[in-house]
Formats: sequence, structure tokens, C-alpha cells
Amino acid sequence: MTSAVEAHAIQGERVELPVRIRDAAVASAMFAVPADAARAVISYSGLDVAEPLPGRAICSLAFVRYADGDLGPYHEFAVAFLVRPPGSAPPTGALGRLSGMKGVGAFIHWLPVNQEFTLEAGRTIWGFPKELADIPMDLAGRVKRCAVRFGGRTAIEVAVRSGAPMPEGSGAPKVEAYSCMDGVTRRTPWTVTPSEVRMRPGGAKVVLGDHPVAEELRGLGLDRARALSSSTVGHLRMVFEGAEEVRP
Amino acid sequence: MMRTALVTGAGRGLGALAARRLAAAAWDVVAVDLDADGLARTALRSPNMHVRTCDVTDPEAIADVVAMAGPVQRVVHAAMISPAAPALEQPLAEVERVLGTDVLGTVHVVRATLPGMLERGRGELILCPDHPEPGAASAAAASAAVAAYTDALWAEYGGQGVTFRCCRTPPGVPARLVLDAIDRSLARPAGETHVELSGGTLRERLSRAARRPPAATVAPR
Repeated sequence: MTSAVEAHAIQGERVELPVRIRDAAVASAMFAVPADAARAVISYSGLDVAEPLPGRAICSLAFVRYADGDLGPYHEFAVAFLVRPPGSAPPTGALGRLSGMKGVGAFIHWLPVNQEFTLEAGRTIWGFPKELADIPMDLAGRVKRCAVRFGGRTAIEVAVRSGAPMPEGSGAPKVEAYSCMDGVTRRTPWTVTPSEVRMRPGGAKVVLGDHPVAEELRGLGLDRARALSSSTVGHLRMVFEGAEEVRP
Repeated sequence: MMRTALVTGAGRGLGALAARRLAAAAWDVVAVDLDADGLARTALRSPNMHVRTCDVTDPEAIADVVAMAGPVQRVVHAAMISPAAPALEQPLAEVERVLGTDVLGTVHVVRATLPGMLERGRGELILCPDHPEPGAASAAAASAAVAAYTDALWAEYGGQGVTFRCCRTPPGVPARLVLDAIDRSLARPAGETHVELSGGTLRERLSRAARRPPAATVAPR
């Protein structure tokens, strides 16, 4: 272990790790998608999708409002897939599949944001696939809505209905976030502490536009699929550690 | 097109979170407070936020800020003070300071921004006095005055494209729930000028209820 603090110069500011998010709000939906098609979408990373059910992978869409955090205030949209830890053998059998879900990570496939500072920080520090977009969002009503637009053209719109309140204080789960930019795959330890969580089965509507990522999601059937579950988080704290390169 | 918001009291609390949320939503935010350090914290790494150290009791200073800001689409006015003091013992100078900040400050902000909104035929004027609490009589008077002022503005200027909202924010309710309630209220009919704070988790509602004074002290006579 080294005591030296990892820090990066972003737009003339010194950003120290870990990066802390003190207040964010999230709405998200999970979909079961054909595993082979999902595998093809993320093959550039060298990672493999997790298959909790035979032939099915999990794709997650999320939109996030960062109100208070080390990267400033911004809106973000995320397309992620659950992936097996690199180097692990594909599980076999029903029990193997379930126990194999323990170490799964989230591979961040696409991560548009609407502010320059977080754009540069995300790409530089973690290799997150951030790009600049207009991301209008409504998180105050019972139906949470978000759109991602480029020069007025809609790439994707998502609406998520609020579900039933979940018990508070279920700990601070540690997640591994994976990303792949310029041929380098990285793993980022990521801690999330959610409160005011609501969940429900189904509850999401997706409209896809003409962006390349929207085409990929159409190929996975996301515009026709019923979500496995939808969830909203009223108040979320997060910690992002430094990224390390992985060679799957 | 980037919309401009003016947020007062942006150095902390409700005003700070309002400024950050608007900045996150890609508004051009002019954040105002007397507390320069607080403003700097609010605007950290937020290139579309501009900070102005300014006293809302100074009408010329407010007018200058608005002139520099350009057309303001939304005002979130949260620069309010509510020092606790027994009604009969609070120094008169402090009573005057509370009324000067909360009531006259509101008048200055409205006078600086409403004419432009009426001219453009659109805008949102959101006034956020503290909810009246026992033990802060001058602030309670100021809060009622701002609420009445909001209704008077609606009566006089309603129906011309400008939305007026008064949100009296009880202590202890997280700012994010207050701002969610304000956001929801903006989708409601323009004439509903008072923001209902229905929300909060059950625990928050219970803890609010537990702090309520005994019914006898607020019962009508």
C-alpha cells in the first residue's frame, strides 16, 4: 500500500481520489436480453456477460442527477451490462449460475453526460465512455423521465415508474465497475450507499432514436421488452476509487 | 438555448441545492449570497454557475446582478433569515433585520426580475420563506408577509405567463424533498401559488409530527 494520494489535473483543478458523490438521485431499469447479442455488443472489452439464466444477459439503463459531488453538478445516462469477473470460468448448472452472480460487475458501455468537467474527469481518470449530450430529466414526479439528445436528435428516452418503498440501510454494497476505452479495459471499485429506494417489477418504457447505441439496444429488443424491474433512489452517495487495468 | 436562473441564498441549504440542481440540468445559474465561501463551495467545478456576492437588502446591488445576468427565466429566492428569539425580548434592530432581509429582500428581488418576465411573457418566480416556527416570531411574521405578497402578485400579474410560487419550508425537511415538491408544483395550474409539502418518507413525516407543538398552542380561538 502506498500513502501517496492519487490525483488528476482536470480543467486546471486537482481532483483527488477517491472521488466522492454526496448527493445524487437515480432511476433505472433492468432488462433480460439475449446473451449472445449482448456478448457481441461488449466483445470489444474482452469481458463476458453474466448469464443468470441460460441464454439471457442483464442490461441496465439508468439516469442520474449528480447534485453534490467532487465532479460538480451534472446529468448522466448509463447503459451497462452485468459481466463475469475477468478470468473466472463460466458457471454451469442452475446452482452454479446463481452462485456465479456473486462476483459480477457492471460493464459501462455508454455514459453520456451534459457537463464538460465530468466528461474530461470520467474519461481521464477511469476511462469511462463519456460523451457530451443534452440530457433533460424529470425526477420529481411519480414517473421519472429522461432523454438523451444530440443536436436536437433524440437517441433514447426512458420513463420509469416509482415502485414500493424498500427497507432502509441495507449496507453499502461494493461493486466493480468495468469500462473499456481505446482498447484498454479497466476495473474501478465503486461503493454505493442508497436511501429512499423504491422498486417494482416492469415499470419502464424505452423509446429508441437513431444513434448507434440506440441501434445496438434495438438489436437487443429493449424497445419491446418488459423490464425485469425498475428502481428509483431518492438519495444516493457513492465513492469511486482509482481504476486499474485488467487483461481479460 | 440556455435558460438563466437566479438563485439567492445559494451559499448553503435550500438555495445551494437549488443552484446545483439547476446547474446539473444545464441552466445558466447566477448564484447569489452574502457568504462568498459558501458560494464558492456551491459552484465548485460547475462552469455554468456564476457567483455574485450580494446583499438582497440592497436594491441597487440586486438590480446590478440582474442586469448582468440577462433575461432571467427562473428565480429561486431562498435568502431568508429566521433567528430564534422570544417575541417580546428580541432586540428591535434584529426584528428590523429579519423584516428587511425576508420581506424587503423579497420585494427587491421581485422588482428586479418580474418586469423582464412580464415583458417576455414567461418566467417562474419561486419564493421560499421559512415555515413559521414557535420561538421565531419576527421570521413568522416575515414568512406570512411573503406568502401574502405572493398571492397579491398573482392577483395583480397572474395570467400573463409568469408562474408564482411560495414554498414555506419547515426546518428538518431535507432540501431535496422541498425542491422535488417545488418541481412538481410547477406542473400544476398557475393559480396554485402555494407549494404543498406532502412528501417525505414515513419516518420523516413522523419525526415532523413529533416536533409539532401541542394542539392547544395553535388552536383557533
